[in-house]
Amino acid sequence: MIMITGGAYQGKTQFAVSEYGCKITDGKCCEIDSVFTAECVKNYHLLVKRLLENGENPVEFTERLCRENPSLIVIMDEIGGGIIPLEKSERIWRETVGKAGCIIAENSEKVIRMICGIPHILKGQKK
Amino acid sequence: MITIVTGGSKCSKSSFAESLFEKTGGRKIYIATMIPYGEDAQTAIERHRKMRKDKDFETIEKYTDIDEICLPEKCSVLLECMGNLCANEMFANNEISFPADKIIKGIEKIAAQSEHFVIVTNNVFCDGIYYEKETMEYIRSMGEINCRIAEIADNVIECVYGIPVVLKGKIL
Repeated sequence: MIMITGGAYQGKTQFAVSEYGCKITDGKCCEIDSVFTAECVKNYHLLVKRLLENGENPVEFTERLCRENPSLIVIMDEIGGGIIPLEKSERIWRETVGKAGCIIAENSEKVIRMICGIPHILKGQKK
Repeated sequence: MITIVTGGSKCSKSSFAESLFEKTGGRKIYIATMIPYGEDAQTAIERHRKMRKDKDFETIEKYTDIDEICLPEKCSVLLECMGNLCANEMFANNEISFPADKIIKGIEKIAAQSEHFVIVTNNVFCDGIYYEKETMEYIRSMGEINCRIAEIADNVIECVYGIPVVLKGKIL
């Protein structure tokens, strides 16, 4: 598994395509189960939101994803760097994205943080 | 040579950027992009003026259209900051405009006229909040500008609570 994270609009998807030539599945709008066979899923933080809205457990879902699709490339925004949201559902979403991200990072042989279009390797070998 | 300094709010990116000019000879030009409008802006401007008081910068206030700036020969330049410049360009008129191309052109022009060009920009991408359309467009434009200037830059440094982290190139 490979994880690509970073803030919004930092060139994450462009990097995934140019580096790995992968086909992108968009977690914002894809069939949810399609991520189990996808090459690369982007907006995983929004997939987490959809799972919460459907009453599913995103942490368990993410653990299953790591088991069943271990070659997946996961792209997700870093979203924890602001004020705690007033809205309860937003708080739960933000915290769940954090937990899911930790699980993905733990299961990834490589974790890359994009900033200003530059890949910064947080985990794994610099090639 | 172009150096980008980025980071979150109050991470000391400005004082780091200014420190890059300590060993610089020649004229040092400071391009200030913040419009002195309202109390917060006045306070910020005053704080930055104090900080660079004894550092021999000549200040040019330019809120938009940085491509119009004419610089003296063999100078070094500090632009502070991209966040304000981008907002000024986008929201100067009733219609919002998309300033990335124009700003990049200005950056290239200043880089061509200077020995060392340091640009302070802002990391405004990590709070996970989905704002109204204009703000999202601002964040998107800042993302695009940061990626594009980082690509042409020699050095890209992120400041994390005062600690400079090299993302590209080196600290001079």
